[in-house]
Amino acid sequence: MVNLKKVNIWYISTFLISIIVAIPIVTVFSSFFETTSNYSIILKDTFLYEYIFDSIFLLLGVLFLTFFIGVGCAYVVSFYKFPGVNFFKWSLILSFAVPAYIYAYSLTAFFENYGTAFSILKFLFGENDYNSMIPKFDGMLGAILSISFSLFGYVYVLTRASFHYQSQNLLELGKNLGFSKKKSFFKIILPSARPAIVAGLSLVAMETLSDFGSVSFFGVSTLTTGIYNAWISFDDLTLANRLSFYLLIFILALFVLENISRKKAQYHSPSKGGFKSKSVILLSGYKSFVAFLFCFLVFFISFLFPILQMLYWTILFPKHFIDLNIVELLINTILLVFLSSFVLIVLAFISNYGNRVTKSKFLNILTTFSISGYAIPGVILAVAFITFISWFDNNIVSLFDIKTIKTFFIGSILGLVVVYFIRFYSLACNGIKSGYLKINYSIDESSYLLGYSKFKTFFNIHIPYLKNSIFLIGILIAIEIIKELPITLIMRPFNFETFATTAYIYASQDLLEAAAAPSLFLIGIASTFILITSRYILKD
Amino acid sequence: MTKNFLEIENVTFKASNKNKVYDLSLSIQNEGDIICLLGPSGIGKTTILRTIAGLEKIESGKIVLKNKIISSKDIHIEPENRNISLSFQDNCLFPHYTVMQNIEFGAARNKKKKKELNINDIIKFLDLNNVVNKFPHQISSGEAQRASLARSLISKPDLLLLDEPLSNVDQSFKEEIQVKLKKILTELKITTIIVTHDSYEAFYLGSKCGIILDGQLKQYDDPYNVYHFPNSIKVVNFLNRGILIPARVTGKNSLENEDLGTIKGNFIKSYPKGSDVQLLLQPEDLEHDDKSNLKLEVVDRKFRGTNFIYTLKTLSNLLIPVFVHSHHIHQHEVDEKFGIKRPIYIDHIVCF
Repeated sequence: MVNLKKVNIWYISTFLISIIVAIPIVTVFSSFFETTSNYSIILKDTFLYEYIFDSIFLLLGVLFLTFFIGVGCAYVVSFYKFPGVNFFKWSLILSFAVPAYIYAYSLTAFFENYGTAFSILKFLFGENDYNSMIPKFDGMLGAILSISFSLFGYVYVLTRASFHYQSQNLLELGKNLGFSKKKSFFKIILPSARPAIVAGLSLVAMETLSDFGSVSFFGVSTLTTGIYNAWISFDDLTLANRLSFYLLIFILALFVLENISRKKAQYHSPSKGGFKSKSVILLSGYKSFVAFLFCFLVFFISFLFPILQMLYWTILFPKHFIDLNIVELLINTILLVFLSSFVLIVLAFISNYGNRVTKSKFLNILTTFSISGYAIPGVILAVAFITFISWFDNNIVSLFDIKTIKTFFIGSILGLVVVYFIRFYSLACNGIKSGYLKINYSIDESSYLLGYSKFKTFFNIHIPYLKNSIFLIGILIAIEIIKELPITLIMRPFNFETFATTAYIYASQDLLEAAAAPSLFLIGIASTFILITSRYILKD
Repeated sequence: MTKNFLEIENVTFKASNKNKVYDLSLSIQNEGDIICLLGPSGIGKTTILRTIAGLEKIESGKIVLKNKIISSKDIHIEPENRNISLSFQDNCLFPHYTVMQNIEFGAARNKKKKKELNINDIIKFLDLNNVVNKFPHQISSGEAQRASLARSLISKPDLLLLDEPLSNVDQSFKEEIQVKLKKILTELKITTIIVTHDSYEAFYLGSKCGIILDGQLKQYDDPYNVYHFPNSIKVVNFLNRGILIPARVTGKNSLENEDLGTIKGNFIKSYPKGSDVQLLLQPEDLEHDDKSNLKLEVVDRKFRGTNFIYTLKTLSNLLIPVFVHSHHIHQHEVDEKFGIKRPIYIDHIVCF
């Protein structure tokens, strides 16, 4: 248990940070000790199975599509040379800038009755009943497509990194064993990239299960929308938390299953000495065209299509653009980005350094446990946080003759930043941790032995060493916060809007054309950040 | 209080349950003394250095430096406050700083002290001129090790701990660095503990050598004594510079071996006449003599540049190493007979 000798300022800080991050997990779990309303009985008899079935179906659809697109693109750009390959290497990650809900608006806007596709056909071929000919991508299919094209980047980036570091030796071994290209791909290339692919798919799975914007837009009843309904429509926070717990178990089961299937197989990257960079294959003729077409289609569908759709509407309906209070939305978005990034990076740094210097197993377990909350969807986090604050207010604050603290945390910037902090803590913490893993502990010891205290070591050695990581993490957090929807919707102060909430509110009122301008700004800002970091993202 | 510069009293050094050195006591009498610790890999030599540096805590005993307790069950002075410098075996240069900046980190500690060692001097001394503006990943492991050494030296610590300081340095350069290192440590009077597995390095650099085996300090003595008067069979086996052969004590200055006959010399410890003992026979104890009637069969010959080490087989199948200068005109091949000068005389006879 706790070794009191190790308790110091770093220990206490790390402990408190982990406790704050762990609040939603504990709150969600504690719902099993509370009673729920009658809605839980109704739910069991009516929608519960639909929620579960739809969640699984959505998950499988998205995983299949993201695997196919992500691995396919990563393979083509890593192993072959064709016109535009260097452009596609980085441009394919721009899809990160398009949130699934904005993709959903674009998809609907283009294919709906009398939508953009209709207008194009009418412009080209004159009046006709095109509505019956144009396919409709709504409901479950729409959700799968929107989420997949928005999230395949995770699989692409991680798999490409893995392919990039696959040694030529490994491929030559395949040739030496007499494997064909196809057999080499399935027997050597793909299996050795398995951890990266699985890591990418795991992120996709979590994001899919926690998606709120696009599934609610398409009316797909997943567990996340169920949680939202239990809370908003039936005012049953306990049931919302309990459903969240089931969802967490579901996500956890996926991880366990993957771990078991992997057994004890090891996937070491080759050591420096044994690494030989790959020689790419130059494609020509139709093969070159097919590779180009595949990458271009993915780039077009995932990034250009939603941008062009939003741009088209912004130009077509300039009134909405003029009415948009861009300055205020920009200030609000930037305020949230800076506040949250600052808090996240500082606290993640303290926590990592605390774990490093105290070497406490207890603290390490606590940090790992709290980070596991990264699988919790934003809706659940917000609900769990509100539940906790209410409980704290009623049971703890009341003991101190203070009226309430709810107003500080619910419907305030502070509350919003705290929940952002909980939501994205794993991103910041793991990012800094991976940087720290590159610093051998004996580097710290060398510094101590040269007379530098822990604080001086932190400022003189660690921060200069990790400055690139800090920059990268800051930008990644910024991208996530700009796109974030459910937490902002639930936790924001009255009349406080961001580009994301503005787009959502217009879309939920069926004013898709009005949602175009804020969506366009959102994509533009996020794309800029992605372009700044693309060098790093593709490297690591 | 003790008057020794460093006193280690009954300390158990422990990094893990497997890696322990029990109840170790040793002292360094004077400031500027250099001692070496020898022992096989994984025995806990590095743990001893880490503990003295303050990176590990102790549960029993005490460590006293300059009459001040720096480690005991209740006292633990943090590493940054000890003014002890440790140069790690695997260089621990700060990867994001150049070699020069790394060395300057060491210099920063002793800004207030009287500068006796100039950065440029130490760079020149360790032949680092060509790499000062490079980053650690751009230099060889030997250069990194020398840079790490420079950083430690420039900090002018009260006690310098060197963990295998020259293990990555090229053989051709090693002896030169050893000479320079000894010179600078002696001139600056930097008290130093060196951990090494190279006995020649230890015998040259250290005024005293400690042999650590089986979790214990088996012998702590002058290098000459450690080599010529090992105090246990384990130390003999560890140094691997001779073999033990059975013999019977036949007089005050003589023994008898079945294969080699009478051996004369000075016993360093007296044994009753008629005792059966194990005699330590080192390669330089026997002399080559083609005219001798004591002939042994050559089973192996190792060329070591300045000398050959012959391995000879006796009638009772003992394998005996014999040292011969390489300029000797007779180079005996395997299976040939090799003459041993008689009577055999060993200046100091070590028996167990």
